[in-house]
Amino acid sequence: MFRSISRRDLLRQSGLGFGSLALAGMFQQAGMLSAQSEPAERRGDNLRPRPGHHPAKAKAVIQLFQNGGPSQMDLFDPKTELTRRNGQPHPEQVETFQLGNRNVLLGSPFRFARRGRCGMELSEIIPHLGSVADDLCLVRSMHTENNNHPFAINMMQTGKTFAGRPAIGSWISYALGSENQNLPGYVVLRDPAGYNTSGRMAWSNGWLPALYQGTEFGSSGNVVPHLRSPQPLPADAQNRRLQLLADLNEDHRRLHPRELDLDARIYNFELAARMQLAASDLLDLSRETAATRRLYGLDNPPTAGYGLRCLMARRLVEAGVRFVQVFPPISPSSQPWDNHGNLRGGLQTICAQVDQPSAALITDLKQRGLFEEVIVLWTGEFGRLPITEGSDGRDHNRHAFSLLLAGGGFQGGLVHGATDEFGYQAVENRVSVPDLHATLLHQLGLDHTRLSYLNNGRPERLTDPEVTGARVISALLQS
Amino acid sequence: MPRPNISTGLASLLCVVMTAPGLVAGEPPDFDRDVRPILAANCFRCHGEGKPKAGLDLRTVASMLRGGETGPALDPRRPVHSLLLTMVTQGEMPPGKEKLAPKQIEILRQWLASDAVAKMAPKQGPGTSDPDRPHWAFQKPIKRRPPEVKNTGRIRGPIDAFLLAKLEAKGLTFSADTNKVTLLRRAYLDLIGLPPAPEEAEAFLKDNRPDAYERLIDRLLASPHYGERWGRHWLDAAGYVDNRLFDGDLATIYPNEGIWRYRDYVVRSFNADKPWNRFITEQLAGDELADWRNADKLTPPMRELLTATGYLRLIEDHTSEPQYGIDKRYDVVFEVMEMTSTSLLGVTMECCRCHDHKYDPISQRDYYQLMACFEPSYNVRDWRKPQDRFLPDVSPKEKAAIDQHNAAVDRQIGELQKNEEKPADLLKRVAELAASKKSYGKIQALWDVGPPPTSRLMRRGNVNTPGAELKPAFVKVLSQSGTTAVQRPAETQGTSSGRRLALAHWLTSPEHPLTARVMVNRAWHHHFGRGIVATLGNLGRSGSAPSHPELLDWLAVDVMENGWSLKRLHRQIMTSTAYRQSSRRPANTDAFAERLDPENHLLWRMNLRRLEAEIVRDSVLAVGGKLDRTMGGPPISITNPPDGVSEVKREPTPTSASRRSLYLFARRVYPLKILEVFDAPIMPVNCTQRTNSATVLQSLTFLNSTFVIEQASLVASRVRAQAGENGARQVDAAYQFVLTRPPSKGEQEKCQAFLREQNATYKKNGRSPDRAEGDSLTDLCHMLLCSNEFLYVE
Repeated sequence: MFRSISRRDLLRQSGLGFGSLALAGMFQQAGMLSAQSEPAERRGDNLRPRPGHHPAKAKAVIQLFQNGGPSQMDLFDPKTELTRRNGQPHPEQVETFQLGNRNVLLGSPFRFARRGRCGMELSEIIPHLGSVADDLCLVRSMHTENNNHPFAINMMQTGKTFAGRPAIGSWISYALGSENQNLPGYVVLRDPAGYNTSGRMAWSNGWLPALYQGTEFGSSGNVVPHLRSPQPLPADAQNRRLQLLADLNEDHRRLHPRELDLDARIYNFELAARMQLAASDLLDLSRETAATRRLYGLDNPPTAGYGLRCLMARRLVEAGVRFVQVFPPISPSSQPWDNHGNLRGGLQTICAQVDQPSAALITDLKQRGLFEEVIVLWTGEFGRLPITEGSDGRDHNRHAFSLLLAGGGFQGGLVHGATDEFGYQAVENRVSVPDLHATLLHQLGLDHTRLSYLNNGRPERLTDPEVTGARVISALLQS
Repeated sequence: MPRPNISTGLASLLCVVMTAPGLVAGEPPDFDRDVRPILAANCFRCHGEGKPKAGLDLRTVASMLRGGETGPALDPRRPVHSLLLTMVTQGEMPPGKEKLAPKQIEILRQWLASDAVAKMAPKQGPGTSDPDRPHWAFQKPIKRRPPEVKNTGRIRGPIDAFLLAKLEAKGLTFSADTNKVTLLRRAYLDLIGLPPAPEEAEAFLKDNRPDAYERLIDRLLASPHYGERWGRHWLDAAGYVDNRLFDGDLATIYPNEGIWRYRDYVVRSFNADKPWNRFITEQLAGDELADWRNADKLTPPMRELLTATGYLRLIEDHTSEPQYGIDKRYDVVFEVMEMTSTSLLGVTMECCRCHDHKYDPISQRDYYQLMACFEPSYNVRDWRKPQDRFLPDVSPKEKAAIDQHNAAVDRQIGELQKNEEKPADLLKRVAELAASKKSYGKIQALWDVGPPPTSRLMRRGNVNTPGAELKPAFVKVLSQSGTTAVQRPAETQGTSSGRRLALAHWLTSPEHPLTARVMVNRAWHHHFGRGIVATLGNLGRSGSAPSHPELLDWLAVDVMENGWSLKRLHRQIMTSTAYRQSSRRPANTDAFAERLDPENHLLWRMNLRRLEAEIVRDSVLAVGGKLDRTMGGPPISITNPPDGVSEVKREPTPTSASRRSLYLFARRVYPLKILEVFDAPIMPVNCTQRTNSATVLQSLTFLNSTFVIEQASLVASRVRAQAGENGARQVDAAYQFVLTRPPSKGEQEKCQAFLREQNATYKKNGRSPDRAEGDSLTDLCHMLLCSNEFLYVE
């Protein structure tokens, strides 16, 4: 016989392991007389660490989100036929996004070379990533569902093209909590100069509790706005204030039981106090050696900004943060990989900013013994077309793009999947975005068919497997 | 109290999932073999041969796809969410005691989850044939009699009858009325977006007349702050911003000069309770309601009508950039379509740019025919750049006179300056002349720039591949038969095409299925925290289903029958039992309502709501006592430091920084930081619904921002002015100012202890006795501002 279990009881029990949670979730589900017969999980409304469904290979993810649509045939996916037939018509009419495309093939202006012991072919404009080729798991057969930025960004982050669902970072913090109770579970590092395309939409918690929303950390000045009082208080006075606030809020909560927002807000004040200490360490570069500074290119203007964010990402996962999302610079564009024209110059500019720090992160994680338990995901939202836009640009392509995975049990030195002779469509071992999500969850010890959240009476899942057919791509994983 | 036996239900459910008796192992259920027999035995008596109930025939897959009055029974896109399954799992169907067995339900579910149903999606694209009409939102709303209820004692009006009938059907009822002071604060924050001052609270609590609450609502509706509060809701839907381009660069701002006049127009309109149909008409076609082109003088009413069309001038417009071609001009028109369809029609139409709507029966042709209404003004072949698309706030004749006068002055100045020598009296004369020049302000308006151009459908949404020529027309599925053609209304003034005026007439016709529903649904959302349809910008098939469709329709028809008055609607809603309920959940988690409807869809209690961004800031200012209540005028600038932590400038007057948030410069992407932190929307186009997050940044902003710290110290000054140095009286006063209520005994004790201890701590840390006392009191006020109670409406 089941005892009736409240959500609050559930919170208290969330440290007790998955078994009781699953049972409670099923119980709740049945109790709500919902239209669904599948059980929904409730994995708690706090950030305490909790186990997954199976033993995890990795404990954290750093997403280097290269928004704009990095050009696969100029970076990761050499197409000799495309180069050979430069200027000739593409045999079929390709799907374009912008006006002003000619259906004429545009060969890559860059040379490719075999890198590492694995002999992975990579472009000359990403020499640093080339130097860690043996650690990279390169997927050349990604495809997505929309060829416009905001929708494809939604897809990459939430598994659906439309806005309003939780980002994968929110799902993961909801599922696993955080190893560090003094920092948010999901941190976003963007260019302090502004937002990339879609801005805050790219780290939304959707209908998951707001506790799992991505929190923006600045990489200059205050890590977080208003982290400290402008007129510092004596520590005991500050503590006494917060104690009073906690007391008053607790009384208020008793009058309003089971209001998740109030719980989150009480938690946030506690977190705010602890964060003041934890977050200020993040920008203290005095602990880093000169060699590390050089590795990330912190003293070089083009790499300094993004390099600092990569370094902060390493520090954050080191401190136990579950998911870190790093954005490239927003200058010259808030979607820096969006090379509709000036392909050669545009790619050179952004690669000069992003290549070295991205590789440095992998090297650094390895040096610190973190590489095995941290997944690095280097991806855009879609790829680019093999045909010519204007005179020297490439338009958006949802049918094929490449991405990099590293660490966290992904197989280094591996190339997975292939595109057609021009790089227009993924044709071999195609991998969808939900497949990617399923595989990431799998490495974190989560079963994507079981990780769910009850929204409006419906158990929602990140991968929506019945509709998307998402599956774990085990070929990408170390055996 | 009756309680379903949950553990047994769950056990049998699990059993079914594991064994699925009656099915062929490893195979999904087959319709004829497994599903049809269940339906035949349980459903065909009503939904079969002859005249099926609610127009729903369950005998074939085709007839289920066609559906009945409440829509298709099968949804091939999301089969397991089909009405068929929902009705039986929720026990709505079959009616009576005999329900489907869990194993039968499981067979239905498995059949729906199989490929078989997904493949049944109709092959042909959507049209406007009859099967499309069943979607409730495309039918004209009908005012049905409010249902009978058992507990008539809780009924204060028709709203309560509709809600209570549904509650009673589930064995539930309303929660108790909340207390007077909670109701007071709720009404203030809902209607004017400011908390009541202690003296206002006292007056209300002392008012023992039976209609004291109704009088309160009337007072608040008459307050000019009402328009500021409710105007802001509409400005979200309209996508109001003060800059005209995309706001991607923090440091660079392109102001849309004078657009603030539209913001003030909106506030005035709400305060005047302008009938909603008139409000829509002015915004879409104010320029077509007055012959301003030939007027000798631009009268204030004419100015008002032109200002109203600013509604259509909030769109991001890149066409001043020379490298952009005609496609960017079309982008502006497309976004006008998106903004108007989501704010007025409550349907999404963006997808119809390229193809027929995937979910709603709206064709690509419908889209471009409707767009033709805007093309005489947003004419891509006769384009006005955004910086040139304004009207002077004087008539063309007045403008000609001013231009002539200024030209003459310029000539005189030119003559004078021909002199080689520049003696002081000559310079003085030049300065005098220059000062005599006249000027005019800018109205960001929309008007027909010339005769209507040819409108065409753009194949696959590509403006370089125009298709067939089209005549302007309204969306077929939303129109009564034979009324889709756009005709120039007789009252169209001047040479204008009248197309936008015709559009306004179509939208505000009592026959229109959406306009009034969208309006009342928005109002409902802002009062209860969730719309009757939860997706405010989408009442189409992909939006959420209405929780109380009959109530929505009743309100929609009622508002149209009563002069489209929003203030009357507020009164109806706010005097209902539903609105006056307590928001508190029962302490007992086993409580029946809590288990049956934990999300409160049926409104068995009021929802606890967080204040919106602007109201958070405005409330802090109000309790600090220094809110600058000046209304209207050019927006107050905000700073744009690189870390993004912007603040309000103390310009043009020192108190400008304390103006209501509505009057701060509204940026598309970078609103004032404290507003952004509390979910002020980013406006790529518009915002049909805000999110309500609870992030650590909000907590930090309240603890450590200069703004909140300053306001806390202002509250402390007010407290001391009223209560002197007596600790108990200080605590009383602080609670009254910040939370509009006296502290409980426990709170009084806690706060006094806090003042004593904090005082000692500060002294121990070397602060003077005076300063220690002051700082302790400021801390107390600060923590009350930080409290959840302050941030939420009960």
